[in-house]
Amino acid sequence: MAGVGSTLVRISVAGIAILFFVGYKNYRDLSAPGKRPDLDTEAYWGPGDKALYKENKAILPFDISVDPAIITDLKGQLSRPLKLQEPLEGVGFQYGFNSKELRNVVKYWRDTYLNKWSEREEYLKKFEHFQTEIQGLKMHFIHAKPTKTTGKKVLPLLLMHGWPGTVREFYDFIPLLTTPNDKSDYVFEVIAPSLPGYGWSQGSSKTGLGVAQVSVIMRNLMLRLGFQKYVIQGGDWGSLIGSNLASLFPENVLAYHSNMCSNNSPMGSIQLILASIFPSYFLDSQHAHFYKGAGDLFAHILEEMGYAHIQATKPDTVGSALVDNPVGLAAYIIEKFSTWTNPAFRNLEDGGLTKRFTYDQLLDNIMIYYVTNSITTSMRLYSESMNKSQLGLNVDSVPIQAKAGCAHFLHELAHTSDKQLANKFPNLIHTTHYTDGGHFPAFELPETLYADFTAFIKKAALV
Amino acid sequence: MKCLLVFGLIVAVFGAFVGYGYLLFTDFTRPLPKPEFNDNTYWGTGDGDNYIADEEIYEFKLQVPSEDIEDLRKQLNRTLRLTEPLDGIAFEYGFNTYALQQFADYWRDKYLTVWDEREEYLNSLKQFTTEIQGLNIHFIHEHAKEEAKARKHVYPLLLLHGWPGSVREFYDFIPMLGKDQNVSDYAFDVVAPSLVGFGFSDAATRPGFNAAEMATVMRNLMLRLGYKEFFVQGGDWGSIIGSNLATLYPENVLGYHSNMCVLHTPLAFLKGIYASYFPEKVLPSRFFIDHHFPLWEKYEGLLKESGYFHIQATKPDTIGAALTSSPVALATYILEKFQTCAGPGLAQDFGAITTVYGLEAVLDNLMIYYLSNSATTAARFYAENVSKEYRALQLDRVQSPVPMGCARFRNDLPAAFDWQLRDKFPNLKHSMYFQQGGHFAAMEMPSMLYNDFTTFVRKLALHGETF
Repeated sequence: MAGVGSTLVRISVAGIAILFFVGYKNYRDLSAPGKRPDLDTEAYWGPGDKALYKENKAILPFDISVDPAIITDLKGQLSRPLKLQEPLEGVGFQYGFNSKELRNVVKYWRDTYLNKWSEREEYLKKFEHFQTEIQGLKMHFIHAKPTKTTGKKVLPLLLMHGWPGTVREFYDFIPLLTTPNDKSDYVFEVIAPSLPGYGWSQGSSKTGLGVAQVSVIMRNLMLRLGFQKYVIQGGDWGSLIGSNLASLFPENVLAYHSNMCSNNSPMGSIQLILASIFPSYFLDSQHAHFYKGAGDLFAHILEEMGYAHIQATKPDTVGSALVDNPVGLAAYIIEKFSTWTNPAFRNLEDGGLTKRFTYDQLLDNIMIYYVTNSITTSMRLYSESMNKSQLGLNVDSVPIQAKAGCAHFLHELAHTSDKQLANKFPNLIHTTHYTDGGHFPAFELPETLYADFTAFIKKAALV
Repeated sequence: MKCLLVFGLIVAVFGAFVGYGYLLFTDFTRPLPKPEFNDNTYWGTGDGDNYIADEEIYEFKLQVPSEDIEDLRKQLNRTLRLTEPLDGIAFEYGFNTYALQQFADYWRDKYLTVWDEREEYLNSLKQFTTEIQGLNIHFIHEHAKEEAKARKHVYPLLLLHGWPGSVREFYDFIPMLGKDQNVSDYAFDVVAPSLVGFGFSDAATRPGFNAAEMATVMRNLMLRLGYKEFFVQGGDWGSIIGSNLATLYPENVLGYHSNMCVLHTPLAFLKGIYASYFPEKVLPSRFFIDHHFPLWEKYEGLLKESGYFHIQATKPDTIGAALTSSPVALATYILEKFQTCAGPGLAQDFGAITTVYGLEAVLDNLMIYYLSNSATTAARFYAENVSKEYRALQLDRVQSPVPMGCARFRNDLPAAFDWQLRDKFPNLKHSMYFQQGGHFAAMEMPSMLYNDFTTFVRKLALHGETF
């Protein structure tokens, strides 16, 4: 058995070496900057015919209050006897969400959380919520202005979440950004939208709303709000939408910061393969353990990306399975807050959920999906972005002129080294590594993310 | 002199390289010996140290309390906030929510109203349970009819279903196998179990119950019923379990027939690549070419349809929690497969399921998953079969002397061709391509499957048949 394993490795290395020589031949073509694709900045995503559409440009305060009937129905559903299968002996979260822990979550949700729902709703309203219509979609966003600006420089900041997150991830992060303090010369005017199809933002009625097209909407949203130039921060889809925006509309982006920098251009993939063979050339020894080789990465992707596979191919099926199914929704979404915060949590019976988060935090996030019924439309972002036509745009090969900063939190799903990022981020001025934290740093370690972000802003010397 | 030395060195290095490559190749492609396998592992609860099997065979009758049906009706009566499909989209993004609402309504208002009839129908085939290796196994056991026994050669047949199927797939097939007819000289005593973790069979309570363990339990079930030698027929997981049975217990298997003959070995992969360039050299007819090729198209198709496989193989308890908490969740997830397996011509058609399978049959099947609450344990089977331990057995590379028959239906997953199959089943006696039909062959065209299976049996010439 060991013989087969090591011969497999040898064959892979031989294959990779062949790839290398072929790749080197095309190196020149692949390392050249890609052409900026021309996207329709007035594409219509709403229902019905575009010809009949008249955009309502009003920016209106938005009431996120939830219809009490939804809460009543939710309580009723959570009160039903659970038919969950007992976990296999000796298993934590290795087979997915452990049903013993799921029972705890459901109990808390029904008996504690929902009894103080009006408190939670008030808490969610602590920021100012707005809605405005962009390209046929009612876009929701939080607009948080700095509390005081005397003696500080003000920068507008577009803050974007991902899946299965929401604006709730930023509730401890935003106050740090808007409150002047002695750690930074800057305060930020924060625009934190719900992505189209997530939370209180309307989902598309038309096919084709992938990452690049979402970045067009975000750019138009910022223009609507009067922001010509701004900083972008994001993780997960927020990171990708942000980098698409920075590639497509360099005139609007002052700086880009992400906790999940990535490079999906052909050059980025080649660099990944090369880095797997010659890691010492690509990575500094101190942080080498952050970066998985191609083989490990592939194994990790296989283990953790089942949800992405099904969402990229059958979003309407799995979405429908979670509609008005609070127990299912809790398992499906909260699983990520366990495994993506720290893969070692898979060995724990409770998934380590409360090591970094409170049930209230996790349930606030789920409630946004549940009350807005946005699970299906949120999943469609995968199918619209992971297809030939979207990948064919090859936006990642259009270099980002803006200054860029990449924060690496150790337990993030995957890390991309500076050399691998080079053709996409020629102006990468800030790379940091944290031996703690996972996929949701704004949620998990807001102070650390804030310190990193402001350190990057300082380096960028924008104003 | 120096030139000769250098030349000799180059030849030696090249020779070593070629030799090494050859060694690697044979390492990957040679058949492997049958692995040692414990045929009596205890899978019940507890440690089984003092386990004494209850060898009784008990009658089984489905008797669902009316409160459970009423509760299901109530759940199906909820107003669900299903999201509208995107403009111009039918089933391209998954199961269409308009269709889903229609199914939920039919299920509640028509199907459940005559549930007593459906239950009677499900009980119309004789069913039993017995304990094998600590697990209670549910199975249909239909002997060949008396008239058939008098005129035909009668053999035992183990019929194995898959996912998201159940024994319900065989309700039209089993009567054909047992009756006195003029198509074949054979009739069968049929045993159709619910797989462990599916339907009304128990599930394993600790990790490790993979397709090799499943084959073992099924073989032991047949021994319990007094059948030392029997035929095996299956599709989907049933085909893989049948293949494992023929590999691990060839002494018990008279013949193995599959309607999803897949084979995943490095050699099969290499043969597939060669055949994709020279299909006429490999396949007996050009009409069979698009069953296997173009390869890239087949892989793309598999990638598009295998999201469920990926999530069940990695997070079965997560998706299981969703499927066991809402009957509509279960419906959309399972119906999607019946819809897609209706074939490319009907995959976007709102009438596909009614046309190809019939609503009652599909809902019967759904009810089995619902009533037995087996969605999670069924999903776990996927995780067990991608585990290191199972893959280490490399059963696909172990040859079996058992006679094999392969039926390939047009719209099913791409199957292996004979040149690949013979690596594992050198005794491949029967190979067929159908230009119609799909994954759930026993449900869609039971008479075609029956004809094909009995043709295979005849070719074994167990009674001196000549051709």
